[in-house]
Amino acid sequence: MTPAPETSEGAVLGGALVEARGLWKTYPMPAGPVDALRGADIRIGRGEYVAVTGPSGCGKSTLLHILGCVDSPSRGTLHFEGRPVAGLPDSERSRLRLTRIGFVFQRFYLVPMLTAWENVEIVQSEAGAGKAARRERTAELLDFVGLSDRAGHRPSQLSGGEMQRVAIARALANRPSLLLADEPTGELDEETGEQIASLFGRLHAAGTSLVVVTHNPALAERAGRRLSMRGGRILEEGA
Amino acid sequence: MSPAAFALRSLGRDPVRAALGIAGIAIVGALLLDMLLLSRGLLVSFGDLLESTGFEVRVTATDALPGMGPPIEEGNEALRKIAALPEADEAVAVRFGEGCVRLASGRERGVGVFAIGFNRRKEWTILERDDLPAPNAGPGASEVPSLLASRTFASEAGLRPGDRVKLRPGSPGDESVLPATEFRVAGIASFPFDGEGSRTAAMGLPSFSAAHLGGDRPRGADPGGEADLLLVSLRPGESPEGAVAAIRRVAPGLRVFSIEEFLARFGRTDFSYFRQISAALAGITGFFVFLLVATLLTVSVNQRLGEVAALRALGFSRRRVASDLVAESALLVGAGAALSVPLGLALARVLDGILRTMPGLPERLHFFVATPRAFLLHALILGGAALLAAAWPIGLAARLPIAATLRKELVG
Repeated sequence: MTPAPETSEGAVLGGALVEARGLWKTYPMPAGPVDALRGADIRIGRGEYVAVTGPSGCGKSTLLHILGCVDSPSRGTLHFEGRPVAGLPDSERSRLRLTRIGFVFQRFYLVPMLTAWENVEIVQSEAGAGKAARRERTAELLDFVGLSDRAGHRPSQLSGGEMQRVAIARALANRPSLLLADEPTGELDEETGEQIASLFGRLHAAGTSLVVVTHNPALAERAGRRLSMRGGRILEEGA
Repeated sequence: MSPAAFALRSLGRDPVRAALGIAGIAIVGALLLDMLLLSRGLLVSFGDLLESTGFEVRVTATDALPGMGPPIEEGNEALRKIAALPEADEAVAVRFGEGCVRLASGRERGVGVFAIGFNRRKEWTILERDDLPAPNAGPGASEVPSLLASRTFASEAGLRPGDRVKLRPGSPGDESVLPATEFRVAGIASFPFDGEGSRTAAMGLPSFSAAHLGGDRPRGADPGGEADLLLVSLRPGESPEGAVAAIRRVAPGLRVFSIEEFLARFGRTDFSYFRQISAALAGITGFFVFLLVATLLTVSVNQRLGEVAALRALGFSRRRVASDLVAESALLVGAGAALSVPLGLALARVLDGILRTMPGLPERLHFFVATPRAFLLHALILGGAALLAAAWPIGLAARLPIAATLRKELVG
């Protein structure tokens, strides 16, 4: 396998990549509003590997979605690479997600009618990368996740672990400055989950900034920084 | 990957559904095409028939169809004035009448008769032997008046070119004191306005009057020269509109029509039912296409909401998601539309064959006529339906709350 592909920032840098202050997220429900986040503060440095743990419904995924600019807080501020995210039009948010943020989902969400190669390539194509650059980057990433020999396979022909590795390659395709993963081992058995955890370790070692929401202690233990959430608040932080 | 390529792959994920959808669009599209061909088919076909005679302007006494209303009383005077116009090349009078012939079996058969002034343009096609002789054909011209017989008339009466036949004015079974007149069959001809099996005879105006085929007016009681219709051909470069205006000035009491005006009148009156029915059915078929595509796309989008939300989370813009769906809709409708054209034309051929068996219709008249206008409308209606049908699923996909959808998919 080749060394981990670079993120856009390359090595670990000192500045804050993401900074959120006083995040509240309130969902209107039939029985009354529910606060998923209650004044959460978080700062992610460049090159950091952060694991977020906590019981179901504590607001982990909500936090991840807000950090990934797919959702907006009801209150509070979010800065990404020093730039305020609130007020950005949808097209700019989409561009930000496409080029600066990588997402890994619990359920992979690969496009079923595309091959592994095409799933990794399509996000680069959407970002406007040239054909030669796409080809080179896709080959590099599939090699990195150990799936060069499965490039022509469709998701239905891959195992769960293989699908998640393709999803990780896709998330890295546009050299994002931040990789977000929401329960990336949630649908995998222990052994396959360990492979994914190992892959994240290699990504971190290569300088990728990572925020991983997980119930998997083995995955959380690999993080350089662990956050625990309860009742919409980030309760403790420890290295 | 372009939206079109992505849409093609999206359709490929459920090929049976895509194939059924395309087949449905092809069938509804074929019906739509047929309605469009029918909506103006008769008018276009009738226009072609009128143009094939070589006369661009028609003059009648009233708004009634030629031969169905009162004749022009002073036909000769009107003809003289019209022929003198600089726009006119030729102007001829036409009379319609009815006669009957006694067959060898003793039974009488009705014959439609029309008479036309001599002109360089001929409203008929000679199938056998000779045309009508020119007036004043000179020494040797037969003293027996000549006629042209349609194929059916000739065959039922056992006539061949050169034979003699007696035509009596009126209909079979009529009591009439008017005598039958003997004619010489100059030739066998086909007439553009004849239906299948029409018994028709054509002759010159003097023969027509002499044989009293226009009615029982006593000989010599038509000094002004009655005419059911005046046909006017124009000199090269003259516009029908200009000629119509000029004729209206010299013959203000008459109704003057260019072919276009004649067809417009038919469109408003006699053929308006076809237009209205076909417009209503075309609207309904267009709506079916809309419903079909909207249902297919909405079901398709609803089945992959999680995937769409994930693509949006990965940075796919609303515009890109919308483009994919427009492309998917265009592919579905485009493929269906392409198939609908040969299907529609084949169906139109069958339906046209059925409708043309109606008695009394000119053989060359068609109900379904392919015109560029019909194909353009077909494409526009289907394209419009595709765009409209894509609107709802596009709105669904583009306005999808990304985080809420991902959460819902996970819980689901």
